[in-house]
Amino acid sequence: MAGSVGNPVLGIGDIKPEVEGQTKEVKKSEGSGIESGEEREEEMAMAAGNSIPRSLSRPQLDVSGAAIQGNLEERDPTILLPNQSDDISHLAVDIGGSLIKLVYFSRHEDKPVEDKRRRSLKQRFCISNGNRRCYPILGGRLHFVKFETSKISDCLDFIKSKNLHCGGMNLHRWPCDTWSDENVVVKATGGGAYKFADLFKERLGVSLDKEDEMDCLVAGAHFLLKAIRHEAFTHMEGQKEFVQIDQNDLFPYLLVNIGSGVSIIKVDGDGKFQRVSGTNVGGGTYWGLGKLLTKCKSFDELLELSQRGDNRTIDMLVGDIYGGMDYSKIGLSASTIASSFGKATSENKELEDYRPEDICLSLLRMISYNIGQIAYLNALQFGLKKIFFGGFFIRGHAYTMDAISFAVQFWSKGDATAMFLRHEGFLGALGAFMSYGKHGLDDLMVHQLVERFPMGAPCVGGKIHGPPLGDLNEKISWMEKFVRKGTEITAPVPMTPGTTGLGGFEVPSSRGNTLRSDASNLNVGVLHLVPNLEVFPLLADLKTYEPNTIDLSDHSELELMPLFLVDAVGTGSEYCLSICQILLTRLWLVRVELMMLKGEVMHLLVHCQPTWLGIFQLQFCLTRLMEEPAAYGKLGLANLLELREECLREFQFSDAYRSIKQRQLLPPSLFLFFCPFLFCGCCYGVGLTKEKSNYRWENEASLAVLPDLLLELDSMSEDARLFTLIEGVLAANIFDWGSRACVDLYHKGTIIEIYRMSRKKMQRPWRVDDFDMFKERMLGSGDERPPPHKRALLFVDNSGADIVLGMLPLARELLRRGTEVVLVANSLPALNDVTAMELPDIVAEAAKHCEILRRAAEAGGLLVDAMINIQDGSKEDSPSVPPLMVVENGCGSPCIDLRQVSSELAAAAKDADLIILEGMGRAIHTNFNARFNCDALKLAMVKNQRLAEKLLKGNIYDCVCRFEPSS
Amino acid sequence: MSSAQMEDQSQNQSVKCTEIGGSERDSENNMSSSTSRFDYYDPISPWALDIGGSLIKLVYFSREDNSLENYLGKSVAAENTGVLNGCTTHPVLNGQLHFAKFETTKINECLDFIESKQILGSCGRHQEVSGGKTLTIKATGGGAYKFANLFKEKFGVRLDKEDEMDCLVAGANFLLKAVPHEAFTYLDNRKEFVQIDPNDLFPYLLVNIGSGVSMIKVDGDGQFQRVSGTSIGGGTFWGLGRLLTKCQSFDELLELSHRGNNRVIDMLVGDIYGGLDYSKVSKIGLSATAIASSFGKAISDKKELQDYKPEDIARSLLRLISNNIGQIAYLNALLHGLKRIIFGGFFIRGHEYTMDTISVAVQFWSKGEAKAMFLRHEGFLGALGAFKSYEKHGFGGLMVDHLAEQTPIVSPRPHPNQKVNGPFTEELADNESIDCSVLSVETLKLT
Repeated sequence: MAGSVGNPVLGIGDIKPEVEGQTKEVKKSEGSGIESGEEREEEMAMAAGNSIPRSLSRPQLDVSGAAIQGNLEERDPTILLPNQSDDISHLAVDIGGSLIKLVYFSRHEDKPVEDKRRRSLKQRFCISNGNRRCYPILGGRLHFVKFETSKISDCLDFIKSKNLHCGGMNLHRWPCDTWSDENVVVKATGGGAYKFADLFKERLGVSLDKEDEMDCLVAGAHFLLKAIRHEAFTHMEGQKEFVQIDQNDLFPYLLVNIGSGVSIIKVDGDGKFQRVSGTNVGGGTYWGLGKLLTKCKSFDELLELSQRGDNRTIDMLVGDIYGGMDYSKIGLSASTIASSFGKATSENKELEDYRPEDICLSLLRMISYNIGQIAYLNALQFGLKKIFFGGFFIRGHAYTMDAISFAVQFWSKGDATAMFLRHEGFLGALGAFMSYGKHGLDDLMVHQLVERFPMGAPCVGGKIHGPPLGDLNEKISWMEKFVRKGTEITAPVPMTPGTTGLGGFEVPSSRGNTLRSDASNLNVGVLHLVPNLEVFPLLADLKTYEPNTIDLSDHSELELMPLFLVDAVGTGSEYCLSICQILLTRLWLVRVELMMLKGEVMHLLVHCQPTWLGIFQLQFCLTRLMEEPAAYGKLGLANLLELREECLREFQFSDAYRSIKQRQLLPPSLFLFFCPFLFCGCCYGVGLTKEKSNYRWENEASLAVLPDLLLELDSMSEDARLFTLIEGVLAANIFDWGSRACVDLYHKGTIIEIYRMSRKKMQRPWRVDDFDMFKERMLGSGDERPPPHKRALLFVDNSGADIVLGMLPLARELLRRGTEVVLVANSLPALNDVTAMELPDIVAEAAKHCEILRRAAEAGGLLVDAMINIQDGSKEDSPSVPPLMVVENGCGSPCIDLRQVSSELAAAAKDADLIILEGMGRAIHTNFNARFNCDALKLAMVKNQRLAEKLLKGNIYDCVCRFEPSS
Repeated sequence: MSSAQMEDQSQNQSVKCTEIGGSERDSENNMSSSTSRFDYYDPISPWALDIGGSLIKLVYFSREDNSLENYLGKSVAAENTGVLNGCTTHPVLNGQLHFAKFETTKINECLDFIESKQILGSCGRHQEVSGGKTLTIKATGGGAYKFANLFKEKFGVRLDKEDEMDCLVAGANFLLKAVPHEAFTYLDNRKEFVQIDPNDLFPYLLVNIGSGVSMIKVDGDGQFQRVSGTSIGGGTFWGLGRLLTKCQSFDELLELSHRGNNRVIDMLVGDIYGGLDYSKVSKIGLSATAIASSFGKAISDKKELQDYKPEDIARSLLRLISNNIGQIAYLNALLHGLKRIIFGGFFIRGHEYTMDTISVAVQFWSKGEAKAMFLRHEGFLGALGAFKSYEKHGFGGLMVDHLAEQTPIVSPRPHPNQKVNGPFTEELADNESIDCSVLSVETLKLT
């Protein structure tokens, strides 16, 4: 403390040299002295980050940190931030010659639930004060929007409607009049920041703080390349391939920003760059000439037209000059363009005689090639191998990218590669946004940004409710009408100010019916900033870590995938299967899955009244994904499942599977009947939730047999017990709604019957059987007993028998051996996976039957609510029982990507020396090949025939017990 | 300066689109070095063709004898030729190199033209002389392949195909070495001839702007490499210009561009920055009048094509293409460490504004270090090269180079009234004929 207030201390010291540190502390705590008053102010200023642009405010905040720390926890984050939120502007604009690009930040609506479990965890793992950030970064979302510069008033209306100019806060929380007399500053770049400064002042009362265009471009590109996984990609001959950017080997590179004109910038480091060249033949030329030649109304229309064109009718090819022959001596093939538009000279045709499509394509090729060539020449001049292309000319348009890539490849003879950025158009706006400096976003690492599909995102600022609907036909036709109407909107006009959150802005210029994979859409999702996500610290090699065991974009997986996907996603429904089988022969697997997701949307429409605009947007996303699976980055199963769950959550099914997990009076047969609907949004399940019932079928049933199981276990020898426990985990893993096969099993009997049958069926050796190795680690060989693990992380899978009869007994055994146990569960619901919210209740129930679990749970703070009185006493009674804790993993998918886990899991993992991954999703679909810095045990029952064959050369219901000692 | 007299020739050819200028020059004391080189009989074809994508370029030789006078009519007066009168006694054919161009689409006009010459010119006679032998004509350009059969059918001549790049380089080298005041710079409306020491000519970058653009690094006679090119060239200007303005000819388009104002269509830096120079707000020196985006203004207005003046469109287009070529040329020169960039090809046509834009682009990007140079016979590099290739094959020697080395004296004068249908007489006058002498086998025989 004394050290931390060093500077003010000196000031005091001058006046009262005899008074030492103690006095200062007193003074400070009293807040009476003049000096300390100043100090306070300074501190406030620092905490608020007033007007001082800084990137890392850690030092300053450390000053206040120690003193305020105690209070910090108690404070409501939104109250803590009032000073800060003054300054946090949530909006940055890039006003170019043709387009206005907006980047704005919306805070996450839902406050994190600060329950007791979490608080005790925080205390235990010292999450809040020992962390990287000393002031709260707001979780939230970064949105990307564009407007045409000529329609700037639309843009202003949009900003106004979203209240972005006053920091995007909700009106009810921050009344607007507090802002009115302040001079709100919005960061802006691009020429329009100068040109339209007065307009912004007049209409919105904000002054534009002008940032240099090139600075912003470079800063934006830097942020994207640093923070967004799968941001850069190459695009050759229609093949998109994501490039893994090595942060240490990024510089120097050439950044080519293709806006109205083209800027070519050589970037040598963060903030070190030079504009080396440029050309006036850019996007504006394409649009301008295209408009003159074809009468197209929009840029996207031009691009779209070019898709169907044939430039040979207009361009003069080498073959045209050489009578169909190549000019091989200098390596020009007959199809090389010798002269763009060269054929338009030689015929007696007029403009009207040419197809607009052909003109568009010819123009596109001309400009793309030219940019590619000039970029390459500049790269060559400076010896740069990496060329990144950004700017709104590209728009993810496959042909444009191919043409540019081709030009670079052609001229470099393969030496240089053209790379593109998915957020290509927003470099400048992002850079301007970054220049605020005090939102701390520049401190974000890649694992804290989750890119989500842009559906529902505009609803953040306020909810939109669709009209209540009558019968089914009406619903569907209304929807169709809506979509049709929606598709006509290219840049929707915002509603009147006050009703915020109009949808459609994320994809303002797309036209649903004619939407093509590489046409007009933005390849940009909403960036979710989840500041409490971190990289799982025990990963052995982060760089090579790839969560997905099977890459969906691998074409050799075509045969395997469709059924596997269906199973994994947990349908079990004949409905989806039939769709799947119809399409199986033709469509790519991912498309099949996406088709089903679309089916989901339809069912949502039929059964619920979801947010209409959200669905409208989802339609876009799904269509987009169907056309091009890599549109939002690399698509793995984990992403797909994430999307699915995301869909459901967006449409306000907070936990679609709640009813299943609880199995409310639903006989298996009836359940199966509803399966289609279950998968397709679980609308029925949601309906059922309304009938409150306390009967938690599966959990109850399992808990009922738990005492017997524990007794049985206790009577065994240590050897046998360990084996039985592992076997039990594998057997209980059969209860997985993610598996179609297992859903079928429910036909055949009660949960306990299945469990017993499952156990009987299992015979060693299992398909992957490292049990003996694991046993040796646990129990040792001969007389020597290895030390128990210090802390074990158990990644649990399903609710019901899986957790109750499988993982809990195993946890109990570890606890008995003196190992701390951390149960890692999903933050958000997915399928019938147990969530971190539910887990304490289940543990509490189980603890009723078992003393070890009870004491451990108490020690871990799980039973605080239930038995407050006992807590103190029990701790003293039996200090030997290590704590049993529950942490959330930060995701809501049956799979887990260990690059993005919750900070509490990361904190819990610091001391862990054993990881147990359970279930197909976490141990096989993902992380099967992941290596850890500690012992890892992967347990799963394979409930899918094809996966078993493909990956393990085995059969359905084969078991995997893979033990990997720490490397 | 010149000891020779020059005479305007108002030609009344049957083919109207040719522009044939003529000037004459003495060709004394050049026999010693050349006579010994030819010791066998072979017909000279005083024709060479360069059939490009848009234009056919024709170079032909006319002798200063009666047969020449037959078709040149009054063009050659004995008193003007002065010393030349003695040419018949020389073993060298003195005469003129003539240049003509046709649109490739109107190849028939070209054929007619050749036919008319063939009757009167020396070709026909050679054919007779050579007896049953098929006459070959040197040709280059893509059309030499494409139209080979046509020539065969029509005249029974075989087109001897020479490589395009070879010809371009040979033509350029010939012009630069042999013809005084061939190269010039053009900047700020000032044309300045550059005297290039033939011994210090190489290396240079030759940018031939035809329908497309070829960029050739020339290291010496016959030593060169095509280093780059672009498809945005003369064909693009003409093609796009035709679509946008309904102009009927390239020259009309150029003429239009002369009167245009590109600010109406191009988006300037000032348009984006609200009239400010970008240099005011940043370290990058872009003035408010720099073009940020060609045709960029065409997007934001509610205007249609017909609302723009064709003049403005033509101007904007010309700037786009000239700028772009200038930039790519400079980048290539920079890469290969070449200081000298020489522009040729029919796109330029001595058009001041084009040359000015190219020069400005080169100057802008090179920050004044590199200079764009132009050739007066810019359009005929390929054809000249093809013509020169006769020499390569062992018969005939184009003696201008020889002469020029010894007596770099003549600067052919423009002929203002020779062009029949083009408005740019003063520019196109650069394509006058060059006096020269060709070693004739015939004359060899005579000696």
